[in-house]
Amino acid sequence: MNNVFDRICIAVLLTGAATRAATAEQPVDFNRDIRPLLAKNCFACHGPDEGSRKAELRLDSFVGATSDLGGRRALVIGKPDENELILRIESDDPNVVMPPPDSGHQLSDSEKQLLRQWIESGGEYNVHWSFTRPEKAALPAVKQTDWPKHAIDHFVLARLEASSLKPSAAADRYRLIRRVSLDLTGLPPTPEEADAFAADTSDDAFAKVVDRLLASEAYGERWARMWLDLARYADTKGYEKDRHRDIWQFRDWVINALNQDMPYDQFTTEQLAGDLLPAPSTEQIVATAFHRNTMTNDEGGTDNEEFRVAAVKDRVDTTLQVWMGLTMGCARCHSHKYDPISQQDYYSFYAFFNQTEDADRPDDAPSLPLPTPAQTEQIAELEAAIRKLQEQQKAAPDESLDEMIKSEQKKLAGVRSSVSAIPVMRELAETKRRETRLHVRGNFLDPGDVVEPGVPALFRSLSVEAPANRLGVAQWITQPDNPLTARVMVNRVWARLFGLGLVETEEDFGTQGMLPSHPDLLDWLAIDFQEHGWSLKKLIRTIVLSSTYQQSAVVTKERLSIDPRNQLLSRGPRFRLSAENVRDQALAVSGLLTHQVGGPSVMPPQPDGIWKSTYNALKWEDATGPNRYRRALYTYWKRTSPYPAMITFDAGSGEVCQIRRVRTNTPLQALVTLNDPAFVEAAGALSRRMQQSGSDIVNQIQRGFRLVLTRPPGDDETQRLIDLYHVLNRDFKNDSEAADNLLNAAQLKEGDAALVAVANVLLNLDETLMKP
Amino acid sequence: MQLPFPLLQKQAVTRRHFFGQTGLGFGAIALQSLLGRDTQAATGNYQIPAKAKSVIYLHMAGSPSQLELFEDKPALTKFHGQECPQEYLEGKRFAFIKGTPKMLGPQFKYGKHGDTGQTLSELLPGLASISDDVCVIRSMHTEQFNHSPAQLLLQTGNSRLGFPSMGAWVNYGLGSENENLPGFVVLASGGKTPSAGKSLWGSGFLPTVYQGIQCRTDGGDPILYLSNPSGMNRDARRKTLDAIRDLNTFEHQHIGDPETLTRISQYELAFRMQMSVPEVMDIGKEPEHILDLYGAQPGHVSESENAADPRILYKGDDPTFANNCLLARRLVENGVRFVQLYDWGWDHHGSSPGESVDETLPIKCQQIDRAVAGLIKDLKQRGMLDETLVVWGGEFGRTPMMQNNVHKELKKGFIGRDHHPHAFTMWMAGGGIKPGSYGSTDDIGYYIGENPMSIRDLQATILHQIGIDPHRFSFAYEGLNQRLIGPTEEGRVVTEILS
Repeated sequence: MNNVFDRICIAVLLTGAATRAATAEQPVDFNRDIRPLLAKNCFACHGPDEGSRKAELRLDSFVGATSDLGGRRALVIGKPDENELILRIESDDPNVVMPPPDSGHQLSDSEKQLLRQWIESGGEYNVHWSFTRPEKAALPAVKQTDWPKHAIDHFVLARLEASSLKPSAAADRYRLIRRVSLDLTGLPPTPEEADAFAADTSDDAFAKVVDRLLASEAYGERWARMWLDLARYADTKGYEKDRHRDIWQFRDWVINALNQDMPYDQFTTEQLAGDLLPAPSTEQIVATAFHRNTMTNDEGGTDNEEFRVAAVKDRVDTTLQVWMGLTMGCARCHSHKYDPISQQDYYSFYAFFNQTEDADRPDDAPSLPLPTPAQTEQIAELEAAIRKLQEQQKAAPDESLDEMIKSEQKKLAGVRSSVSAIPVMRELAETKRRETRLHVRGNFLDPGDVVEPGVPALFRSLSVEAPANRLGVAQWITQPDNPLTARVMVNRVWARLFGLGLVETEEDFGTQGMLPSHPDLLDWLAIDFQEHGWSLKKLIRTIVLSSTYQQSAVVTKERLSIDPRNQLLSRGPRFRLSAENVRDQALAVSGLLTHQVGGPSVMPPQPDGIWKSTYNALKWEDATGPNRYRRALYTYWKRTSPYPAMITFDAGSGEVCQIRRVRTNTPLQALVTLNDPAFVEAAGALSRRMQQSGSDIVNQIQRGFRLVLTRPPGDDETQRLIDLYHVLNRDFKNDSEAADNLLNAAQLKEGDAALVAVANVLLNLDETLMKP
Repeated sequence: MQLPFPLLQKQAVTRRHFFGQTGLGFGAIALQSLLGRDTQAATGNYQIPAKAKSVIYLHMAGSPSQLELFEDKPALTKFHGQECPQEYLEGKRFAFIKGTPKMLGPQFKYGKHGDTGQTLSELLPGLASISDDVCVIRSMHTEQFNHSPAQLLLQTGNSRLGFPSMGAWVNYGLGSENENLPGFVVLASGGKTPSAGKSLWGSGFLPTVYQGIQCRTDGGDPILYLSNPSGMNRDARRKTLDAIRDLNTFEHQHIGDPETLTRISQYELAFRMQMSVPEVMDIGKEPEHILDLYGAQPGHVSESENAADPRILYKGDDPTFANNCLLARRLVENGVRFVQLYDWGWDHHGSSPGESVDETLPIKCQQIDRAVAGLIKDLKQRGMLDETLVVWGGEFGRTPMMQNNVHKELKKGFIGRDHHPHAFTMWMAGGGIKPGSYGSTDDIGYYIGENPMSIRDLQATILHQIGIDPHRFSFAYEGLNQRLIGPTEEGRVVTEILS
């Protein structure tokens, strides 16, 4: 019984349909049931890539599948028993059966049955779902009419009811405000904010909290991190030498753009082609540093052209992944085996990006100097002084004036050279434009035919009259009939809030990606996003105000068995906080956090000896003062040796675009939050805050609990912590040296060592590390 | 068939409940606990009977000269000092060589050793003493000629960043055999991290739990943050962990999320690792004759990273690599699947006496030769060599020509060779590898003569020996079934060197 169930389950998952299968009521659907099967098992040899095609058969198109190949046809509509395809997949003969045994692929009985059903019912080929424009479906009817607050809830509830699950009750207010605060700002609420919300009986109590959070500067810091993963942002250039690069101004640009709620289409255009806009502002040029986060190779003896090409290819792959959820990497070397993207398409798109000045130079040119206000003033003063002296010199030549001019000029040069300059995109002059050729097998030393710039053929029907440059690319990506851009972005935001995208494979909306769990909801959100001016704040507000988001995260056995990963959304989202949130939360609840937006990256303490790169004299020097306690996104990021505590919590290296982080739960994480001096210091500071609530240990513990977890503790929880405190307090009384050492480790001159240990426990609770 | 990752995750949710409730002991289920929630070892039909249980990979970062160590080339000696014929230069790219360089004959003497008559340089007397246990492959070649991309290609199967390392693949495919230790451990010596940095032991698109854990041997915690804060002794830590466990149990009773149970078990594992890791890392427990066999010195802390003269780092008596070899044995003995040693300082261009073939190479050999021989002998005397695959080599070879960008003529302390991807030497031992020789090069060691062995072949062979079919073993990512050996079928298991 179990076995049969498992097999069905596996088959269904393999087809990408999370819980649906073809039934009498629900006929076979090509996109849902058949294409994923063919793509996974057949396209490698019978797909779009001519180079690897076997037996001249292609199964990715109707014409290909039904064409006569010497008296045999793979597909004969309506007659499964005359089909070569069915004969092959149902054969027992290892020389005949498809997929071949040594391919590593194998079809299950239910998959074979699906293919048979499909052919019986007409063998229809549809365009892959994500390549067609989203449509706003009518809200589905639901039985439990009092639950939906919002369109989102109708879609979710209809799906739940079809699976005989009920939505969960609303989360309690303390957990809800902690959840939404961490989601929107990356920081927990204060107990006072939570109490105010708990006491607010007005209808729009939650909406007021949401609006307050969206308006705070911390919002931009929290959501910038998501974007910086995509932008492969880092403070060094990567590769062997991995030298320093000034590019933190781009990080600040992202924070500001998000805080100002810059429309996503504009946000896109400025980053891809801000320099090509008419009379671009400094900020618009800074935005183009998005694509200058590619790596530069300073290793001796490397071919600059090789690494320039690598950077351009990275831009191509990153652009299509970030904005359209398409994986193009494989088309560098050959036509895509699964999606209709040819190698020609790849290099045509590459041609758009192949015309910038940068060329893997050690100075990262071209760059944009960005003087601080003080430097601007200094430069203006010096320039004025020099002009004045020169005028005097003209009027009455004098040797001493000469000396003075020279000295001022030297000063000016000094100031200028101290000005930070960030790498930016700049188009080559008309006369210097590069000819783009296809790279045979992806090898830039083996050029093929000349290609003209163009978007992938699949999308050429799009109605765009755009210039043949990066600005045209931006227009193509953001025009309303692009089927992917809005879907990909709303899915990404959804995934950050719920832990799993509506399309789980955020990085792949192509035929190899998973199908949406709620296709109509995804489309509804995508269209709504565009209709509301591509406003991310509005999108996020819409989602968090839904009943779906505000459900309690309590898991019952029933929910766990029917919906173990909460894909059906029968409960609130509950998953581990990101690396940045774990750090920021500890700093915030202990009162150490420095509230300062932007600026050069900082070096909070890390263990000695972490930075040992070849040929690189850059040193990690632990910050003292306010920079020791900045939010995690300001931590200096060296690609070949990223900050260890954050890597342990699944942050990426920043070497290449990271679409999503896969969350892990490892013992190394426990060691970080238990023992990393930064967390021990936070425990120390937290213990001080606990002490400030009075001399009574019960009050102290309850205060600490509320600072960390927002909600009041249960009696059993308080008691357990009090017991711990008393036991440790006795031990420390007997061993005052240990007590002094712990206080010292927690950076306290005086204090209560047992309370430091209790604070250390609070910072390590499962609930602390999880979004509630 | 390999199951898609989402399904694996789904299984992980149920499988982890077994942990702690079954008597299965170490292996796949214990791995669940070590590796955590969203992940687990892959399952599928890629597993084949294994010859080796673990791998010790000794990577000489920078790439030693095969012409001074393994390739006795009388013809090259004959042409020594003459200009390199144009046919070897046309259409070639070099890292540093400019114009027409001079041919450079091997700088050290060769001898024949053991029953197999293995040709080895006088710089490697230790290796000579175990020459009947190793298979020397003189026909290695690669596609990359700069350190970082070549190291990445070798260790991750791709010269770009972002791909999982060999150890991560193996960890993903087979898991660890010890629930108290990571499955993939990295040890570095030579004072610096190799060129391509930590990406060499990264997990790429595989979940981060499969990445290599770098254990430090320079005096600090062997694993970062392993030590409790000062003042928090083991007893106090136990008491705090008891409280964490109890509060988490309340939490689980209330919320019901299985993730909480996983967290409880991970904290317990962290506590056990606080004991087990320092224990296994403590080579001071080894008897004198074993320390002596390797030339190991417990407690040695290597010189600082930015010593003004690089030769300070290269002192022949630096025991860091020897210590790491001994540690490698202790780790595989305790069930660690993949141990990777990186030794920096083998890039002998001849630009200065501190990076020259004539002055630096002998010192580097002195640092590793006894240790490597000791490792093989020790594994053998413990009956572990058969099930431990040992691999030694750099990321490419070195040119038969002298590098000429600093001095055009031969000058003491400035004799060096440029990067050479077309031919180089590696050796393998144990783990089902047949001792002897494989492959050859032409008279001057420029091109492969017979039996070429590519990086793909090497990777395929290593996977095969550890019980993984390299062609079937894949992970779906970016629209492809990604494999260590790359998307094409050019990599093959080199059965000729298998016993």
